[in-house]
Amino acid sequence: MNPQSLCSNKPATWWRALVPFCLLASGMGLAPNFGSAEETTVDRVAIVTPASRTNQGWDQQGVDNLVEVGETLDIEVEVVEDAGYDDITPILNDLASDGTDLIVCHASGYQTVCPEFAQESGIPVVVIENPGAVMDDLIADIETQAQEASFLAGVVAGLETRSGRVAVVVSGEPPTWNYMTVGFAEGLHSVNPEATLIYQVIGEAAYDDAPNAKRVTESAIAAGADVVFGMGDGASFGMIQAINEHNQDLEPEEQVWFIDVIGDKSGSDAGQHLLTSVLFDYRGAYTELIQQLREGSFGEIHTMNLENDGVRLLPFAAFADPDTVETVDAVRVQIVDGDIVVSAIGDADGLRERLDELFPH
Amino acid sequence: MSVEAIATALIAAAILTSMPLMLAAVGEAIAERAGLLNLGIEGSMLCAGFASFWLTLKTDSVTLGLLIGAAVGLAIGLVFGTLATVLNANQVVLGLGVTLAGTGGTAFLFREVYGSDQPLLSGGPGRPFEGWFDWLPVIGPAIGDQRWFVFVAWFMVLAGHLFLVRTPSGLQLRAAGESPFGLEAVGGNVTMVRIGAAAIGGVFYGFGGAALAVVELGFFSPGSTAGAGFLAVALAMLGRLSPLRVALFTLAFGLLTGLDIGLQIAGVDARPEFLRMLPYAGIVIGLVALGRGVRMPRALGQAYGGISSRR
Repeated sequence: MNPQSLCSNKPATWWRALVPFCLLASGMGLAPNFGSAEETTVDRVAIVTPASRTNQGWDQQGVDNLVEVGETLDIEVEVVEDAGYDDITPILNDLASDGTDLIVCHASGYQTVCPEFAQESGIPVVVIENPGAVMDDLIADIETQAQEASFLAGVVAGLETRSGRVAVVVSGEPPTWNYMTVGFAEGLHSVNPEATLIYQVIGEAAYDDAPNAKRVTESAIAAGADVVFGMGDGASFGMIQAINEHNQDLEPEEQVWFIDVIGDKSGSDAGQHLLTSVLFDYRGAYTELIQQLREGSFGEIHTMNLENDGVRLLPFAAFADPDTVETVDAVRVQIVDGDIVVSAIGDADGLRERLDELFPH
Repeated sequence: MSVEAIATALIAAAILTSMPLMLAAVGEAIAERAGLLNLGIEGSMLCAGFASFWLTLKTDSVTLGLLIGAAVGLAIGLVFGTLATVLNANQVVLGLGVTLAGTGGTAFLFREVYGSDQPLLSGGPGRPFEGWFDWLPVIGPAIGDQRWFVFVAWFMVLAGHLFLVRTPSGLQLRAAGESPFGLEAVGGNVTMVRIGAAAIGGVFYGFGGAALAVVELGFFSPGSTAGAGFLAVALAMLGRLSPLRVALFTLAFGLLTGLDIGLQIAGVDARPEFLRMLPYAGIVIGLVALGRGVRMPRALGQAYGGISSRR
């Protein structure tokens, strides 16, 4: 609370007694926040995720990153997980009544409800992949340009595949997954245009459907894929288990490798056959957003890309070819410099058209 | 990779993935035959799956894991049967309560025990008949290379069928659902028979949940049944509450589910949402087409108050 608000909120009798002090304080420069340079207080930030904060995917990465930023900036972080994809307005209202200063709506599925809530309540929100909703002081947007890092993953797959067959297995077709699929396919095509790309969708919003993810991945392996690029959240464990079971008792050169997205599973049971991962790092975006809210410049589009390390590849597994590492580093520089432009296609129809262009049946 | 190999993989996957669902659906068929409509299958499977996974991870024994899963299913079945018969609790509300409690409880326990880790089982049950049927193209290896519990599951289905149609106890069980007053009139104990049926059903759900976690998936995650408990109810009705028919319909459902994967691999230009819809549309069509002449047990879902209540 600054001296100005202290003065203006006191009962009448106190107010009279404090007037001389306030005038004196402002005259002596003891009230730096007087006037237009006032900084907004951000003490409490909330994040709403559609699924569990422990799914080692999209939801967990967002929560973990915000909690880390909160600890660094000494801000209280409230996590609302498993909110699903239905109307989350009651949750948002509850957060508002708790005095939350900023709400991160951590799903592209909240593109309508969160901007509406922000306009009605006046509480700033952060949305995902919805640049059209951006509004000064009220709505900011995070764009994950993961197609660039996925392009690198495609290069890795193209160089590391031994069978010439590479699979992309997705738990749905949201914009984030579609951008990455197109980026991956373009990267694969750039180094191995003769490769076969097997594209499989587990289901509509099957983010936690691990049983079907396992089944789909098994079929992709049966079709000869030896590198699987999997985008699944909780469903990823079905893919990973399919690969682990397949690789059991096989020689290294016969094994199938997995390329993950968003988080780092390399230190867990799931990391045995992990080639690399397209990592999402929200820390930079969250820090910048909170700072902008404090400074009064909130309401911009924040793009996570290769240049600002918002998306990047996890260091490769030891079994990857060292030459692949060098090639990927060189391609990364070309992307950052703008010499390689990766398509940004978020809709499912556009995705299919692009895949057909690159890898016609 | 040849078309034959892909077809073999898809059929093998269909047999394996339909197995937990088949056990749950057959368990439901047995319970419904006794007049108990149990909508708590989903919750029972999740509880059994979690317990099974936890013990398998601790002991490295899939057999122990499966047995604890069955024990958990049995316990939940006994509780359900007792509340539904002794206290005459509404079966629909009770079943949904079990599902909600099981879903929330296992998610809570999973978080408490494993935090943000996702442990995975390595190995899995053995394949005792691997290579035995390779002389038979496509189907041979798809059947022969299954894990041992798949054969146990089919044996359980057969045993359940024989129990229902060939034994005096099975006759009593069917009478409890068809004509409970008649059963009591000839000296049967409707309450005990129904509790027994709920317990048998519970064992099937328990094995189903456990098999999903430690045989099919090799891990447990909250909500990993993904609606299998409710599908089991539909499949039980589709199979007219006959364990063998229910098992065959479940297998057909599994094969239909695999069809969309096969079409995607083949590059068929169709929306995956449409392909994924096919097996569920098949159930609806089957229920409409085959369900016209079906007569469910007369006392299904009804509380039984004894002959005295009829006067």
